[in-house]
Amino acid sequence: MTDVARSTEIAAADSPATVKPKTKVRSAKPMIDRYKWYEIAALYAGIAVFLFFVLAPFIEGFLVSLKPLAQLFSRPYSFIPRVWSFEAYVSMWTSVPALGLHIFNSFFISSVVTLIVIAVVVPAAYAFARFNFTGAGLLLAGFLAVNMFSGAVLLIPLFRLMRAMGLLNTYWAMIVPGAAFLIPSSIWLLRTYMLRIPRELDEAAWVDGASRLYTLRRVILPLAMPGIVVVAIMTFIGAYAQQFIFALTFNSKTEFMPLPIGLFAFFGKQEVIWNELMAASFVGILPVMIVIVFLQRYLVAGLTAGAVKQ
Amino acid sequence: MSQLSLKRLEKSFNEARIIKGIDLDVSEGEFVVFVGPSGCGKSTLLRMIAGLEDVTAGEIEIGGKTVNDLPPVQRGIAMVFQSYALYPHMSVYENIAFPLRVEKLPQAEVDARVGAAAKVLQLESRLQHRPGQLSGGQRQRVAIGRAIVRQPKIFLFDEPLSNLDAALRSEMRIELMELHKRLGSTMIYVTHDQVEAMTMADKIVVLDAGTIAQVGSPLDLYHRPDNLFVAGFIGSPKMNFINGRVKSADGTTVTIDLGSLGTIALPRAITEVAGQDVTLGIRPEHMRLDDGGFVIETTPNIVEQLGIHTITYSTLSSGEPFIGLFEGNPDLVESKSVRMGFALEQAHLFDARGLAVY
Repeated sequence: MTDVARSTEIAAADSPATVKPKTKVRSAKPMIDRYKWYEIAALYAGIAVFLFFVLAPFIEGFLVSLKPLAQLFSRPYSFIPRVWSFEAYVSMWTSVPALGLHIFNSFFISSVVTLIVIAVVVPAAYAFARFNFTGAGLLLAGFLAVNMFSGAVLLIPLFRLMRAMGLLNTYWAMIVPGAAFLIPSSIWLLRTYMLRIPRELDEAAWVDGASRLYTLRRVILPLAMPGIVVVAIMTFIGAYAQQFIFALTFNSKTEFMPLPIGLFAFFGKQEVIWNELMAASFVGILPVMIVIVFLQRYLVAGLTAGAVKQ
Repeated sequence: MSQLSLKRLEKSFNEARIIKGIDLDVSEGEFVVFVGPSGCGKSTLLRMIAGLEDVTAGEIEIGGKTVNDLPPVQRGIAMVFQSYALYPHMSVYENIAFPLRVEKLPQAEVDARVGAAAKVLQLESRLQHRPGQLSGGQRQRVAIGRAIVRQPKIFLFDEPLSNLDAALRSEMRIELMELHKRLGSTMIYVTHDQVEAMTMADKIVVLDAGTIAQVGSPLDLYHRPDNLFVAGFIGSPKMNFINGRVKSADGTTVTIDLGSLGTIALPRAITEVAGQDVTLGIRPEHMRLDDGGFVIETTPNIVEQLGIHTITYSTLSSGEPFIGLFEGNPDLVESKSVRMGFALEQAHLFDARGLAVY
């Protein structure tokens, strides 16, 4: 480009006559939140891939539960049911009569585990968050170390322990180890939450004559409630998920079996009733969903607003 | 008889000595301010009186009784925290009533006391609100209300205004002084803000690195500081210090060589300082733009016009900073040499150890 050409181009760009008035409506969003269309498309594509990856087994499981058994083994295999039918959700109760009991057992075991964990963890977390005692750091490190063993590694010693205490084939065989393995991580979780509650609140209560327990009850517990709810949800889900291994090992009685073991009843000698198995699994997840929906109302953020000037 | 007395009080955290032997007497109804730079131990001292920190050595007496091992509530004190320390899940009413609930007072009594406190602090319309819905000043008032309802003998304030903005701070300062007048109780107040100390205190305790630098009334500290630390801490802008060497001290006059600034002769009946390195102190507000007294010629680097005052910042030929404060708006400009002087009786003299010589 010659110098002359460049200078005319610059002149053209600068001259007001050639500048087009911008009529595009400006976005109300702040600059940092504005994205190009392809960025938004990429974001949603990423979310879709991730969600599909996570949910695919559930989708397939749900579709299987809607198909008649014969269709499951037809070729070519079709993912979408040719006939939609909720029959499996009805027939499963008759092919495995104890199904209701299994679901109740799962729910019952998880609830008791959760109650025990909360009862133990709240005072422990308060102590670790507020008292300086010898060995506190060591104990916390110990809890973390316990977490590194999965229950499966300790099954045989646990079995001997259970047998010695006569707990085999009772609810306790699933509740006690269930609670024991969930307590350490919960203490860590709740301790961190309680550390965020300003220490001045304890001191102010102490100056006003309140005892430690009174302070815990009237000041700390209400403020730690969101943290306690998180611990409760985590514990409940954790207890629900880990029942399988304890129930399989420490219990052989049908009436105490939780759902994950109870589902084996759908495995017949000749065939597996896959559609009913899937239907039962989905019904079995329901209690967890209900508990979470119920508890998350208490997950109020920002409850400590106004306590101290930050 | 003094209501609160500290006797050789000491506090150590592990190896670090925070409070190094403090003796202090506070009489009933006094407004005492602990002031000092951060880390001087003033908050620790207050927390020891409150019973939140234990005592390493020495004694705390309240009403003639040693209270070293008593919990706060039995010492007859109430404390207002720097961060308010309100209970965010309780209403203003319940926050103020908290100490009474702990005492398990009957509801009628609680109502009466909270009502009275709310009236004093103008919080009546806010009683059902949560602390999160209040402004900073109102939160501070709730914290004070919680202290009032217990009807303590001694109020302890730990930098209660430091979280408020400047306008609100001076407003609350006046409210606190009125409160002190109305209740007539002893108040001990910790601050790093010397304006709060000067305006509110009956008695100021200046703390420096865990020891008392000086105790006295605000004007005492201003006019007759005992040492360099107090002289530099009290007063704003800070007192100017000029290093010099005593040429002669004959018992009536001390003659000091100030290097390039010349020689100054101060009337002091002392001979021990002869030959010593000394420090001359002069407050910025004592500088005059006439030729009376001792004259310093200097060139301001910065001139601040505040309307009521004009402040000049300059560097002396010896390298020391020098501040002058003049009333009104005299004709002063940056980088233009000016002659300023001070009357000899306004000068402070500190010996080699930093102690004042009068």
